[in-house]
Amino acid sequence: MAQPLPPSRTGSVGPPSAGGMGAPPASTPGGQGPNSQQNLNQIVLEYLNKKGYNRTEAMLRKESHNLDPNGQPIITRVGDSGGKKWSPAFKLVKHWIENGLDIYKPELVRLEWPLFVHAFLTCVSDCYYDEAQNFFKEFRGEFEEERSQELQVLAKIHVPEHVQTNELASVYRREKYAVALSPMAWAMLVEFLEARDRDGGDVIFATLTEHIRVVTFNRATTARGLQKLMEEKESENKRGVMWGGEGIPSHKPGSANTDPNASSALNKLSLAPMPMEADLMEDVRADLSHDDSMHPPAPGQSTLVDQFEKTIKQEPQDDAAPSRDAIPFPPSTARDVAMEVQKVRENRDRFKIEGRTGGVGPGVSVTMFTFHNTFDSVNCIEFSGDNALVAIGTAESYIRVWSLDNRALTSPQDPPGFQASSSRRLIGHSGPVYGISFSPSAALPEPATNGHTTSAGASETQPRYMLSCSADSTIRLWSLDTWTNLVVYRSHNSPVWDVRFCPHGHYFVSSSADRTARLWSTPQIAPLRLFVGHDADVETIAWHPNGAYVFTGSGVGDKTVRVWSVTRGEQVRIFTGHTGNITAIACAPNGHVVASADDKGEIMLWDLRTGEKTKTLKGHGRGGIWSLDWSVESSVLVSGGADKTVRVWDVQPNKEMQAKANGENGTSAKTDGATTGGGGAVSKTGKAKGPVVSPDQISCFQTKKSPVYKVRFTQMNLVMAGGAYLELA
Amino acid sequence: MSVWNPENVTDVAESIGIASLNRDVVEHLARDVEYRMSQVLNEALKFMRHAKRTTLTTQDISQALRLLDVEPLYGYESTRPLRFGEASIGPGQPLFYVEDEEVDFEKLINAPLPKVPREMSFTAHWLAVEGVQPSIPQNPLTDPRSAELAAKGSGANNTLAAISGNDNVSVKPLVKHVLSKELQLYFSRISTAILDRTNDDYRSAAFASLRTDTGLHQLIPYFVQFVADKVTHNLKSIFVLTQSMQLIAALLENQSLYLAPYIPGVVPSVLTCLIGKHLGTPAVDGPTTHFALRDYASSLLSKIARQYGPTSSTLKPRIARSCLKHFLDSHKPFGTHYGALLGLTTIAGSQGVRALILPNLKAYDAHLQEGMKDEGKKEQAEFVVSAVLKALESLLEDAMGGAAANGHPKGEAVRERLVEVLGEVVGGRVLEGGRQELIAAVLERDLVV
Repeated sequence: MAQPLPPSRTGSVGPPSAGGMGAPPASTPGGQGPNSQQNLNQIVLEYLNKKGYNRTEAMLRKESHNLDPNGQPIITRVGDSGGKKWSPAFKLVKHWIENGLDIYKPELVRLEWPLFVHAFLTCVSDCYYDEAQNFFKEFRGEFEEERSQELQVLAKIHVPEHVQTNELASVYRREKYAVALSPMAWAMLVEFLEARDRDGGDVIFATLTEHIRVVTFNRATTARGLQKLMEEKESENKRGVMWGGEGIPSHKPGSANTDPNASSALNKLSLAPMPMEADLMEDVRADLSHDDSMHPPAPGQSTLVDQFEKTIKQEPQDDAAPSRDAIPFPPSTARDVAMEVQKVRENRDRFKIEGRTGGVGPGVSVTMFTFHNTFDSVNCIEFSGDNALVAIGTAESYIRVWSLDNRALTSPQDPPGFQASSSRRLIGHSGPVYGISFSPSAALPEPATNGHTTSAGASETQPRYMLSCSADSTIRLWSLDTWTNLVVYRSHNSPVWDVRFCPHGHYFVSSSADRTARLWSTPQIAPLRLFVGHDADVETIAWHPNGAYVFTGSGVGDKTVRVWSVTRGEQVRIFTGHTGNITAIACAPNGHVVASADDKGEIMLWDLRTGEKTKTLKGHGRGGIWSLDWSVESSVLVSGGADKTVRVWDVQPNKEMQAKANGENGTSAKTDGATTGGGGAVSKTGKAKGPVVSPDQISCFQTKKSPVYKVRFTQMNLVMAGGAYLELA
Repeated sequence: MSVWNPENVTDVAESIGIASLNRDVVEHLARDVEYRMSQVLNEALKFMRHAKRTTLTTQDISQALRLLDVEPLYGYESTRPLRFGEASIGPGQPLFYVEDEEVDFEKLINAPLPKVPREMSFTAHWLAVEGVQPSIPQNPLTDPRSAELAAKGSGANNTLAAISGNDNVSVKPLVKHVLSKELQLYFSRISTAILDRTNDDYRSAAFASLRTDTGLHQLIPYFVQFVADKVTHNLKSIFVLTQSMQLIAALLENQSLYLAPYIPGVVPSVLTCLIGKHLGTPAVDGPTTHFALRDYASSLLSKIARQYGPTSSTLKPRIARSCLKHFLDSHKPFGTHYGALLGLTTIAGSQGVRALILPNLKAYDAHLQEGMKDEGKKEQAEFVVSAVLKALESLLEDAMGGAAANGHPKGEAVRERLVEVLGEVVGGRVLEGGRQELIAAVLERDLVV
């Protein structure tokens, strides 16, 4: 705001219509009015002068001075300029942040987004339509990279009613957005805003106090040294470093505790495997010793019983196991025994995949199943646990199951003379099918090459049920013996996006567009638990291997991964950090790490015990990572996505690399840069700016034209991948 | 300012009879329409994402409308993206519309029915084998350079290793298969040893090692290649061929090796030794030594077929086909016929002999007689006759038996029948042998048919 020229002092002090509210000069009648006004001021001033009210006179002179020649008051405070105030105010604080001290920049930069959103929303709800749009257009480019999806939604908000009804906007208006600042940065910011009060500082400050929760944290305690910060700044983009607790849920980093006064200590989770039933354990042991006597282990192999004892004993001291009483299961049957026996056998015989310990990384074998003539109607692909069946859910509301070994899928209900083929169509849903899950099963034991072994449990370990969920907001349970629909579960009132069987069977969870996830048990048609808390669609869902926790991931407006306790139905962890819709979650078989992927092409690894992010894996192109899975040893992660690749990732936390990077003055950062160019070359998208590939990628396998919908590690550590070949693309 | 033109709102208002609409109201409505449309689109995008697609379809819009409690737009169902036409209603004012072709009813009725869309199916292939993407048609062509770049791991690890003071990082060579020094040495020793004519102990030690050593897996492709090489280039040397066959035999005997993937590479070499045209040099080795080699090769082949036939459905038919082809080719020398007969007998068994050899014997007889008359070839022809007899012996396995006793024709009649089936030479031999059960087994074919 340039100071306007002072009005001429000759003859009059005040301009014609001092304080004329909203009355444009054109509408004031004739020259008589202003003259009388002028005279009035003159008279008053003379009066004050005569009376000797010097100070009042000075004040009047000063105040009447601040009018432009037309008699409008000249606004010097940005805060008083209505809808136009936001642009200069935001620019002011942005400029300060970006030219401030480098140490605080990564923290302070995080303030820009919530300020931007609230400035825009306030502007709209104050009915400054055009100003709001101009403001939005002016600054949206800053956030395009990280927040494109939110921007897409916000861009169309025009009138106050939209602010109230839009889900994203109302979440922002209702909840406070948490941002972490160190005390020093916070103090500096406050000081600056106060000093520049007139230039818009007060506007920003009001927004800060009203809509944003600034959490101050001590750098020393969070082990966030200066050097680390600098290094992170180098490696991350210029949008700064996202703090673990940033965002709407406004929780402590990692924990699900949204009470700001609560201690930051995390409640402990029971991450150990579910203990086995005593009876079952006895049966399994008996079966194993029988097996051992029948087929003595080859030299160098341990006996099955030894292997079994080892797996049972292997209970880490720092993890509690969930109690069997808390999560009741039906009593075990012969089938469970057979499955456990098979698990032990696989544990002994499988091809072990070690993590990458300085080497090139394990060689993983991938079998790709490509579906042809789909016309892009396949929504999801699922393989059964015994590697014998594959099921697809289609946009045409039906499910189709094939046997992978070309075995005919027979049913006792087949009419006589019916020629069963190797595929079955399951018809029942009335909307596109988005999720399928097979009940747990174990692979058939390999027929031994020497001698004739027919294992009794073989035929019993195949999956018997399958779940599917659909846009018709139902979940259906299918029998794989008769190939018919058994149960319809209705409770969700929006499309159901995903459904997963519990790793031990009996229970399952579903996630829906109604922002809830629900826990069910197969014999009951009403849900047992409702997991409510997400501020957007619950896009994907996964189980903890011990069956005591459930992971949910949600879409735009929330973008969090939450961990729920099955027994209590509460959130126990919230992980923030994704910048896109969460498209896949998978928990490591060891139960300590969970991986989540978004449609911006990032995979994040979270440590469940500490609630911290341990790694970000970049490399996938945009468009969604549809599936994640862990090797049985939890040493390697495999992912498949819309960019038509299957990628294998190293998941070991690379402590030494970071430490070295510090010492070597960021040499590794440079190498990253070099490999980045390579990543761009690999992706055949031909974009000028290819995706950055993080050095944790062990390998990347491209398919010809098939987006990868599903990847799965078998119990023997072979990767099965499924995708649909796109003729048109 | 909204993207949605406020005039559209005025138009709609006029169409439903509201003549004058306040300017503010129009603008407000236009803004609202734009917001509602984006709402629908955002919901539709969700459906697109969950269908794992990258193109938005009309169904997604219908689903989104349903989710927002709005009646969906009917009549726009389409499985492929809609085609939009563009018309201009003024400068810079394009108008888009869905292209709707005019259909001639008459033509539509008389047109042939469209083809039934192809059935959905799936195929499986290896996307990666132990971390390496095989270059098969199902996989995209990979530029070796980009593959190098894709191996991010190695780059990152070079730095890691360099940082940790271990600077002499071994750079991965372009050859994917790396052999240790020891294995290389072993390979060269073995390959020289088995071709050493002078030292029997040396040779047998080498074979013994091949038979028992457990760590040879890495070397299998090299041995297979070695054998193929030696066989193709040393057809004149019975010794080299025999040694090559013994090497394969040794590998087959080794319990710890898994040879199945290499069988297709081994079989041609064995077949060469079985039905090769000219094996060895008759002047040096004598005219009949190659029959011993052929015998050995056939035993090897039967072993392979026994061991790996069940895992490869095409293995046996392939071998049988090539044997039969060579047997029926009368231009080939007797040696080849001999080998082919042996091969067929071992691979196809009695069933095969009955189905493949027996019907052809009569025709073959002429060729055989010719050979018998020629002194130079008589010896070779004798071998073939013996091979035929051996093949006929195998018929005994599944002969019905018993039939011989009752009322079989005797004497001259038998002779006639035999000659009719087997031809002059072989028929005579069978009769001379005088084994009733064999004669019965041979003639059984007639009875069965």
